[in-house]
Amino acid sequence: MMIETILAVTFAGALLTFLAPNRIAGKLAFAISLIPAGLSLWLFTAFDGSGNALLEGGELAFENRTTWIELGAYEISWYVGVDGISLPLVVLTTILTTLAIMSSWTPIDIRESQFYGLVLFIEANLIGVFVALDFFMWFIFWEAVLIPMYLLIGVWGGPRRKYAAIKFFIYTNVASLVMFAAFIALVFSLDVSSFGLPEVTQAMLNGGPDAFAGVAGSTVASLVFIAMFLGFAVKVPVVPFHTWLPDAHVEAPTPASVLLAGVLLKMGTYALLRFNFTMFPDQVETYAIPIAVIAVISVIYGAMLALAQTDLKRIVAYSSVSSMGYVILGLIAYTHFGVGGATFQMVSHGLISGLMFMAVGVIYNATHTRMVTDMSGMADKMPIAVGILIAGAFGYMGLPLMSGFAAEYFIFFGAFGSEVLSYAPVFTALAMFGIVIVAGYLLFAMQRTLFGPYRLETDYEVGRAPLHDIAPMFVLLGLIIALGVAPELIFDMILDAVDPILEFGGEA
Amino acid sequence: MTVGIEYYVLLSLALFCIGLFGVLTRRNALMFLMSVELMLNAANINLIAFAFYHGNLTGQVFALFTMALAAAEVAVGLGIILVLYRNFRDVDVTVPSEMRW
Amino acid sequence: METAFELAPAIVLLPLAAFVVALLFGNYMPKKGALAGIVATAGSLLLSLYVMAAVATGGQHQETYFTWAAGDAVSETGVPTIEFTFGTLLDPLSALMLVIVSLIAFLVHVFSLGYMNDEGETGLPRYYAELGLFTFSMLAFVIADNLLMAFMFFELVGLCSYLLIGFWFRTESAPSAAKKAFLVTRFGDYFFLLGVVAIGATFGTLAFQGDGSFVAAAGEAIDNGETLFGFGAETWVTITGLLVLGGVIGKSAQFPLHTWLPDAMEGPTTVSALIHAATMVAAGVYLVARMFGYYALSPTALGIIAFVGGFTALFAATMGVVKDDIKQVLAYSTISQYGYMMLGLGVGGYVAGVFHLMNHAFFKALLFLGAGAVIVLMHHEQDMWKMGGLKDKAPIVYYTFLAGALALAGIVPFSGFWSKDEILFDAIIVGLNEPIFLAAYAMGLLAVFFTGFYTFRMVFLTFHGEPRSDAARDPHPVSWNIKFPLLTLGVLALVAGIANLAPVYKLTGLEITYLEFWLDGQYGGYADLTYSAYGDTVPFGTDYIGSETITLLIAAGLGLGLAVGGAVFAMVLYNVPEPEPHTENLGSARTVLRSNYYQDEYQVWLAENLTLPLARAADRFDQTVIDGVVNGVSSVSLFGSGRMKRLQTGVVTNYAALLIVGFIVLLVVLGVLGGWFV
Repeated sequence: MMIETILAVTFAGALLTFLAPNRIAGKLAFAISLIPAGLSLWLFTAFDGSGNALLEGGELAFENRTTWIELGAYEISWYVGVDGISLPLVVLTTILTTLAIMSSWTPIDIRESQFYGLVLFIEANLIGVFVALDFFMWFIFWEAVLIPMYLLIGVWGGPRRKYAAIKFFIYTNVASLVMFAAFIALVFSLDVSSFGLPEVTQAMLNGGPDAFAGVAGSTVASLVFIAMFLGFAVKVPVVPFHTWLPDAHVEAPTPASVLLAGVLLKMGTYALLRFNFTMFPDQVETYAIPIAVIAVISVIYGAMLALAQTDLKRIVAYSSVSSMGYVILGLIAYTHFGVGGATFQMVSHGLISGLMFMAVGVIYNATHTRMVTDMSGMADKMPIAVGILIAGAFGYMGLPLMSGFAAEYFIFFGAFGSEVLSYAPVFTALAMFGIVIVAGYLLFAMQRTLFGPYRLETDYEVGRAPLHDIAPMFVLLGLIIALGVAPELIFDMILDAVDPILEFGGEA
Repeated sequence: MTVGIEYYVLLSLALFCIGLFGVLTRRNALMFLMSVELMLNAANINLIAFAFYHGNLTGQVFALFTMALAAAEVAVGLGIILVLYRNFRDVDVTVPSEMRW
Repeated sequence: METAFELAPAIVLLPLAAFVVALLFGNYMPKKGALAGIVATAGSLLLSLYVMAAVATGGQHQETYFTWAAGDAVSETGVPTIEFTFGTLLDPLSALMLVIVSLIAFLVHVFSLGYMNDEGETGLPRYYAELGLFTFSMLAFVIADNLLMAFMFFELVGLCSYLLIGFWFRTESAPSAAKKAFLVTRFGDYFFLLGVVAIGATFGTLAFQGDGSFVAAAGEAIDNGETLFGFGAETWVTITGLLVLGGVIGKSAQFPLHTWLPDAMEGPTTVSALIHAATMVAAGVYLVARMFGYYALSPTALGIIAFVGGFTALFAATMGVVKDDIKQVLAYSTISQYGYMMLGLGVGGYVAGVFHLMNHAFFKALLFLGAGAVIVLMHHEQDMWKMGGLKDKAPIVYYTFLAGALALAGIVPFSGFWSKDEILFDAIIVGLNEPIFLAAYAMGLLAVFFTGFYTFRMVFLTFHGEPRSDAARDPHPVSWNIKFPLLTLGVLALVAGIANLAPVYKLTGLEITYLEFWLDGQYGGYADLTYSAYGDTVPFGTDYIGSETITLLIAAGLGLGLAVGGAVFAMVLYNVPEPEPHTENLGSARTVLRSNYYQDEYQVWLAENLTLPLARAADRFDQTVIDGVVNGVSSVSLFGSGRMKRLQTGVVTNYAALLIVGFIVLLVVLGVLGGWFV
């Protein structure tokens, strides 16, 4: 019942914060968010599961299944539980939300109670996405994430917030529709009586779909695979479905950016792993090359786009596209280190991009500009914040002993020896070139904004950032380094959950 | 002897078409309302005629309902027309089109 | 003996502790964190000496401390799992390097008291913290027992280099140089990482030593004639070896990735001495030595190493001839000297390469620190044309600098002569057997002349003649903390050659080639990491002109003669009271040399005129085409609904008409389908 407790506390906390007076909302939300954070850490220490949640032979942790709705021949249940893939993401969500709340004390100065209420509401739904094991309830959480994020961008965002919010909402919603339709078609063509993901997975692995609406079973599987890939690809996002991301990031307030890059993007890759890469091993093999091409293009093209930007937030946003490309590469490698590294990269990128957005936010709070051309020599005025920004940037570049390196190394290593993917070494080498470009644009941006003689084009007095802006970044930096020095902290758990995927996919 | 059902239907049809013609061609709201009443009454004639034809009173009862409804409709319709006149100094139905998009 | 090896992690961790202490408490400490660094590096030095003594008495040690990550990954050769670990490998090579690194780090910390603290710099805690972090990373790189750990700390020293070059971040030039240094080495590291990944995926292990090492696995694969990733085993070893070499070329500033090193002189001179001369730049060469057994399997890779080295040696030396900034001269000489080491290793001269690595660390650190002392003397003036006559004003600086210069130029009996001679000797005997290597040898030999010339041009311009500026007439005094490191290194530059007097051995038969014995594991060490083990693998034969002795004498005579010739030429031109800028007589050649053969230009062009416009084009493409499609979809639906909504006129009559028309159409359609009109 631990998972239900976390969800209940977070939802109740969201409501409470929503009703609280603006004056105390920030502190209250922070205090409340400590509860799910603490409980999820407890889950982490008490985790006793093994194997993969969707596949046989494992032991699901904190499992709870109750029939919810009987729908003709189908049964919808309240079904939650975590395995080695979802638990790190749950912990990432709760910790990042807590830190994001703290980092919004400075920038958010209107409608605070609504803002923090929505942040907690998002948190609850995000946790729901990672713990739900029934498609129906999973989809409810999945969609419910969009609404608060739409509001966060649309109400507290920058000058073009409406455009960005609507673009974000419609784009991802259309993608969800495609995915939803595909999955429903899949369920109808399978011999199952439940929307439980493990049942669907089992049915897929035991022979796959029957003919449906006059289409042969194998074709159904392929079509569903493609439709679901496209649906999730928007969320990840991969090129060419990425253009909502920079707009959303640039307009979103800092804490929303932190959650958007830190957790919301991981929903896409998490779903890809759970659905496409667990349920469709044959299709993974068939479409390995196109997907790898998409991954490589995302990495290189995203990095090239970041190189051309002059807005710090846009730089980080495009580099997220690039980083998520690595995740896709790791997944399509379909090896232990590839898939495990991809999952590790989800967590790692969540921490690092969160850190980067916070650091950029702190600079923006002080200067009220994010344009690279508007400032230089910030290191002089805000040494600690800039120090952390530099550390975060090197984390992004994949500096060893930080989590980004571990993730990228696992992915590259896993991809290089891939058997599913032909020409794997070539794809790996191409994608790896991203680490040079990422160094290029981050170093260029840092040189121009942080170093050199002090200059600021806007009329603001720049002082040192307050402690509550700095503290969350220190926590994130600590986690990044901890995971970089000892990736085993979560990597063992991840590998344990990844192993059955490859085993049932016939690749172990 | 009784009048054949077809004559009732023809009468009803004629009445309905007259009403329809009014709705499609008139611009005066009052004429509009009257045309609608004509169409309603065409339906009433149908209801009563078929009720009589089938020997079943349900249709006649429904005709009573329709009349009550028509009365209510006229009340509301006249109210609307009054408001129209107050706002536009006219009862031309093509003038008030602000709310279309 | 075991105690020494058990204490080995402390060698690495002490400077890390100094980093933390200096970063957190540096502002509150006397000397702003310097003391923490000095104590830590002194401790590391003592422990390193202890380890060296342990190896000298027959020890060797390999220990895995902890597993970074492990999992299933079937390698190309069929190993089912792989482990990535942190561990130490203490053998003659790493013990020697530990001593070199910790010694120079210690001396540089002491020197910094004079160069940074006494000169009233701000931000010193940051400086000492970064020095501590660097020392930690470098030492960890040295003791690494596997390729991944080596790569990780190889990157971390790059970070420290970036931070320290950019120490004076308020200037425009230092951050730019720092960025360039990191970016260029990163480009090399890209290949290195790819190499690490490829080797791991091929052999399922990254260990340097033992039966389970990738070197042994590669040898086995070649013997069995296996096919790896679609290539023959030897080709694949060559490819992966060359990929790793990419990192080496970047870090050791070899052509064509050498361009960052001269710019890196923007950092404090102490940093140049420690990082950009003696230790970090040596990391590349050290790595080649560390995995020499792997390169020895591939004649192609060795040949490329030799040619890159020989070419770089000559190429950089010519550029050093025309520089006016004392640190620039030293920077190009550093590139050139690392070229020699690469040449030595490339022709299979493992001992010669490592020998030169050691000597170079001492004399180049000495020269840089000497240059630092000169800069202090000169009130932070670096242009040699504004110096002159410092010989009498600062005799200790002069004589120690001279010792370093003689070693650099390769004048007998200074240390540089012995190692450079050995490299050239190894190159010529391989070249006599495989003539293509004679070209590499010739480049190395020619570079000797240029080295002699630019070294003594520097010495004469700086210390001799009449003072050419007010600062030179009235130099700033230097204190003990500057003189002490200079004297220590000066002595080492003079005597370090004793470690391996190979020519003396070959002429007299005296068994005094201690370094060779040392690296051959005759005191202690692993059998598979010895000189003779490598010698068995290296695929090159050797030949002599006449006998070995004659070849030796010819090679040594040529080298020494050219060095002395260069020095004398410099003396004639510049050892006068009022020297003329003779290099201007070189005309357009001088322009080319001063512009560094336009190497920077083309690399900057690649970055700014190729990559950046490409990025901008991608951005335009993204904004117009891709986002255009997205926005287009919304525009099309908006436009379409804009048309559609016109149906709604607001006129009730129209609605009624539409209703009727719709009803009639429906009726007709149903009728047609239902067969009424048939």
